[in-house]
Amino acid sequence: MNVEVLTYPFLFIAVFFEVFLLVTFISSPARARRAQKLSEKTPNVAVIVPCWNEEKTIKGTIDSLLALEYPKDKFSLVLVDDGSTDDTARVMDSYADNSQVTVIHQKNGGKHTAVNAGAAAASDAEFVGCLDADSFVEPDALREIIGYFDNPKVAAVTAAMSVHEPKKWIERMQHADYIHGITLRHVISSLNGLYVTPGPFSFYRRTTLLELGGFQKGHQTEDLEMALRIQRGGYIIENAPRARVYTKTPLSVPALIKQRTRWTTGFLRNVVYDYRDLVGNPKYGTLGLIMLPLGLVANVSGILMFVVILYQIGRNIVNTYLVTRGIPLSYLFTPHFHALSWFYLPLTGVILLSIITLTGAVTTILLGKHISKTPGNLFIGIVTYVLFFGFIAPFWLMRALFDLATGTRRAWR
Amino acid sequence: MSTLSRNILLSLAISGLIIGTVVYAINYLNQQRVAQLNTIEDQLSTDTLSVETQYSLLANAPCEDFAISSSSEGTSLSQEVSNLGDKLQYTENRLGGTDPQVIQLKNQYTLLEIRDYLLTEQLAKTCHTSPVVVLYFYSNAGDCKDVCDRAGYALSYLHQTYPNLRVYSFDYNLKIGALKTLETLEKVQPSFPAFVINHKQYYGFTSLTDFESNLPSSLFATSTATTTTKTQK
Repeated sequence: MNVEVLTYPFLFIAVFFEVFLLVTFISSPARARRAQKLSEKTPNVAVIVPCWNEEKTIKGTIDSLLALEYPKDKFSLVLVDDGSTDDTARVMDSYADNSQVTVIHQKNGGKHTAVNAGAAAASDAEFVGCLDADSFVEPDALREIIGYFDNPKVAAVTAAMSVHEPKKWIERMQHADYIHGITLRHVISSLNGLYVTPGPFSFYRRTTLLELGGFQKGHQTEDLEMALRIQRGGYIIENAPRARVYTKTPLSVPALIKQRTRWTTGFLRNVVYDYRDLVGNPKYGTLGLIMLPLGLVANVSGILMFVVILYQIGRNIVNTYLVTRGIPLSYLFTPHFHALSWFYLPLTGVILLSIITLTGAVTTILLGKHISKTPGNLFIGIVTYVLFFGFIAPFWLMRALFDLATGTRRAWR
Repeated sequence: MSTLSRNILLSLAISGLIIGTVVYAINYLNQQRVAQLNTIEDQLSTDTLSVETQYSLLANAPCEDFAISSSSEGTSLSQEVSNLGDKLQYTENRLGGTDPQVIQLKNQYTLLEIRDYLLTEQLAKTCHTSPVVVLYFYSNAGDCKDVCDRAGYALSYLHQTYPNLRVYSFDYNLKIGALKTLETLEKVQPSFPAFVINHKQYYGFTSLTDFESNLPSSLFATSTATTTTKTQK
């Protein structure tokens, strides 16, 4: 049996999803969001910065928040030290004299407890936002976000994330992935299908947040669990594609795999155990019919495609060795120019569909850069994304599936 | 209809269109390959007839006259037959050995090979030369997959390294009268891979070195080794 046949259903789903993204991108709900102007309203808002051992990045995070273009009397900052053991507390305390800043020190209880403590302290705020202590915001980001709360059913608004000053190839690769995510969030939010309100600069209507019971541990993905709870509650999650926020990313492949394993395991545990009723449920529209089912399928297909590719490569190497052993290497490595003829073009359905899917992904990345107006050159990011991302991702997908199946719990860091 | 429903249906339709286009493109490419093979075979058929006619015309002429007038066309013909063999093998891998078009092309190719082989034999007899000819019989019936692949690759290497070596490969199981007659005349048994080297039968393939020991030493003494010419299975 040709194992390539196994990949066809997944390639069809991948093509379908890419097409769905592009079709929805040009649909009126997404177009209306791209045309949205900066809000003139300035309700009371507070940004909570939960920290655990972030002494190196916390100052930059706080300074970028204080530089936001927003009336100072309407904007406050709640810094929550979640039992840091480094110099984070001292850096935070150095801002205690600022009237906009509230500093809270608590015993280490996990990120969700830190955010809840911050939300409780921000009693004057109509909207509360979160910003991880390794992230930085553009000055107009908050005004980009606030306008989306005009609809009273909107419980949360997410921002447009990308990587802070990407330099290494692995940062550039993740930068391209994040920019891909900007288009994805923009498009899917236009049909209320988001299932995560990421740590970097997501905002919540405070009354709704408290009504829903605040943040929970959520299998180490409290932002994903919160988003699913918002959706189950019948509220809307919006996305502001021009609200730019920059975050730090893992600098090595093992660290990236560890981070993404936590995200993926969190997704699987939340969806499979706690929010199974949303999957395939027409009541939840795009989320129930597209995002959650395809999210589950993507985990399986990512692994399967990887295994099939490895199998094909391994089989070709073994076959080549078996067929050519004994033949002088000088002959084996002589270029055979006749093979350059169109006649020998190795085009198969799998290769063509893979090219189409990759082209769709690159288009999505370019659209993300365009709509968010993210600065910088994406060329190396796209090249590394195309070349390596698909070969690294299966490792965290397999690890996450293993953790789900065996009940393995891993440390956050 | 909601935006979601409309977009899902639209996306399904476009995805179907994309898949359909991919299937059509692959099929079109395969048909173009078959068409090119047909064109090459038609051309080769004409070329073969031309060489045969030349031979008849010059049958009573001195050997040198025949060699001069036909060697250029004959060498070119053999090279084209070799190229056709490569393309046919590639097409067979893509479309499968049971594809009717592939079988038809292989039948025609086999006849061309046999005619080229007969011309080589006749020329050798007339001019008293001793070309080294290998008839290679393989099977695609699943009884010789790996060994026949090895043998075919080794013969490609030998043919390219020693251009004086003539290699003709035949699918033993093709149902063509001319091939069956050749198998009978050369007393080839259905044990694969089978080789006939200057009318002597050999069976099996263990290594390149062992196979080379079956070839006449004159091949290595008179040939100029090269690795730049074309391949033939």
